[in-house]
Amino acid sequence: MMAIDVDRYLHTERLPHIWCPGCGVGTVTGAFLRAALKLGLEREQTVVVSGIGCSSRATGYLDVGTVHSIHGRALAFATGIKMARPDFTVVVLTGDGDGAAIGGNHLIHACRRNIDITCILFNNQVYGMTGGQLSPTMELGDRATTAPYGSIDPPFDLCRLAEASGASFVARGTAIATRQMEKLIVEGIKHPGFAFVEAVVPCPTEYGKRNAPASVIAMLEDEKARTVPVAKAAKLSSEELADKIVTGVLFRDPGMPEFQHSYAAMVAQAQDAASKGPGR
Amino acid sequence: MELWHSHLLREKVDQSSLLVQGNRACALGALDAGVRFFAGYPITPSSEIMEAMAFELPRVGGTFIQMEDEIASICACIGASLTGQLAMTATSGPGFSLMQEAIGYAIMVEAPLLVVDVMRAGPSTGRPTAPSQGDVMQARWGTHGDHPAIVLAASNVADMYRLTMAAVRFAQRFRTPVTLLADEVVGHMRESFSPELIGRYRLTSGDFDFTPGYVHPELVREVHPPHVLGSETNPHVTGLIHDETGFPTNDPDKSSTFIRELYDKVGNHRDELCLYDVKNEGKGRVCIVAYGSCARSARAAWKMAEWEGLPVEVLHLYTLFPLPVEIIQTVARRVEFMLIPELNLGQYAREVRKMAENWTTVISMGKIDGTLISPREILDRVTELVGKYESV
Repeated sequence: MMAIDVDRYLHTERLPHIWCPGCGVGTVTGAFLRAALKLGLEREQTVVVSGIGCSSRATGYLDVGTVHSIHGRALAFATGIKMARPDFTVVVLTGDGDGAAIGGNHLIHACRRNIDITCILFNNQVYGMTGGQLSPTMELGDRATTAPYGSIDPPFDLCRLAEASGASFVARGTAIATRQMEKLIVEGIKHPGFAFVEAVVPCPTEYGKRNAPASVIAMLEDEKARTVPVAKAAKLSSEELADKIVTGVLFRDPGMPEFQHSYAAMVAQAQDAASKGPGR
Repeated sequence: MELWHSHLLREKVDQSSLLVQGNRACALGALDAGVRFFAGYPITPSSEIMEAMAFELPRVGGTFIQMEDEIASICACIGASLTGQLAMTATSGPGFSLMQEAIGYAIMVEAPLLVVDVMRAGPSTGRPTAPSQGDVMQARWGTHGDHPAIVLAASNVADMYRLTMAAVRFAQRFRTPVTLLADEVVGHMRESFSPELIGRYRLTSGDFDFTPGYVHPELVREVHPPHVLGSETNPHVTGLIHDETGFPTNDPDKSSTFIRELYDKVGNHRDELCLYDVKNEGKGRVCIVAYGSCARSARAAWKMAEWEGLPVEVLHLYTLFPLPVEIIQTVARRVEFMLIPELNLGQYAREVRKMAENWTTVISMGKIDGTLISPREILDRVTELVGKYESV
């Protein structure tokens, strides 16, 4: 039984979790757990790092090595962990505020290095933990406590940002398509390089409260209706794709140089030089 | 003697002494102390430390990474520290300010770490190549909340070597970040440096065990069990107030106990942590209390005072925090004046005043024009004070 098997990666004594009814964070965390099970990740060899926010609280329930770090910096912590222990599987769980606003610079640099870390970014288009403030992925015109007249801030397309920054695996899934989400996470973790997986998740409490559609069911149905698989999207114009959620593996190049491989090669070169003489 | 990182010492004068830059001596000390992880971001006047580590660490199989900013640098160091690596970063005032939130995290999760701050004149961009001691209180209280701090201050090239080692040792023993402060002039000066120092101060396995998760038996009751990623315990590491399980708690008693324990593990070991040197002990009416470059001027002023027959002693502090309460109060009881020359507007003088004002008059001698305080300036002030004393 899958539901019981994933318990091996959970601190079941820490449950129930803090997420609101209808929140997509738990759904996608579930997809991560099933992906971990499918990959047979060793608990002692796996480190999950998060920042601050609703999605980042997931580390408090996972029975692997977990680091609940500071706001926006999960990828920087993860980079240090991965560089110190290249044998670890390192996964970052972050949100749109944590990963794309305060942590946006770390995101683009982690992509640029193409270091072998998997970043799952839960995009609910709102600051949920702090009570519904404007996020950098919120659509124009949407309302937030800090955008009471509707947002005038154009949103990020995080998958395009990740690809342009140098990530060698970029994918997007939604909370309604959980099997696909699980598959994308499996492929992201297996990928030898920086894998960016955007998970589009509903926040009925803080987003739905001020914007339509309001209910969880309506939000999920809306997500489903707007979903376009990547193969189909290739045949559509940009006008037709406006307002759509393109899902699947958007970019993949396993041949791009991975940072730790490059570092190991540099160490070998430096040690060879050191063996020949002391100075520069 | 083995000098595998000999390029750091390549400015050889002769066989018995070497000309070494302060920042390079710091890198040398770090390597000798076993530091094998460095993440940093370039900033004047500390960059030579990072450059030396960029060259040396790959040669010894260590890890060096230039991060996108100082926040990322210290976070990467904490990540490495959580796997059991000895990690360090080096920066200056603006970068040190950026690191403050993460330093608080490292204190909270008890991650050993070395942060070197080569101070330049501030605030803001200030004067990047001018010496300063303006970061003293930032090193103590830069991160928010009540927290302990271990802060050392180097006054010369040899200090940059040996205090770096001491800082690593303290970080490992007390499982907390340690800050080493140097004024720009200490980082950039070149001085003769005896190769014997390297042997004399090199840490041995008797000093501490490098095994991830090791706690010295003397400290096992005071230091919480370390989090080591990759160990069988699968630790949960969080900056939230947590209990002995590592998981968050909102329990008032547990919250208070946890923070007090963080304080006590440092505060209860002042004897070990407070490094200082007293010159002309018990023979002064005026004690010059100094650290960093000012301590050098203070020592020179004392020599000049001796020629002039003025009763002066010098308390040279290598540890600024935890506060060296005992030695400050011991000296305060026997002198009329404590004179504190520093390259700021009296940041440490205020601390000394709190400890000493019941027994002595504490006089701050601050300077913020980006130049050093000369021995003559100190001597003039001493002469003035002693004259005042004679006339009373």
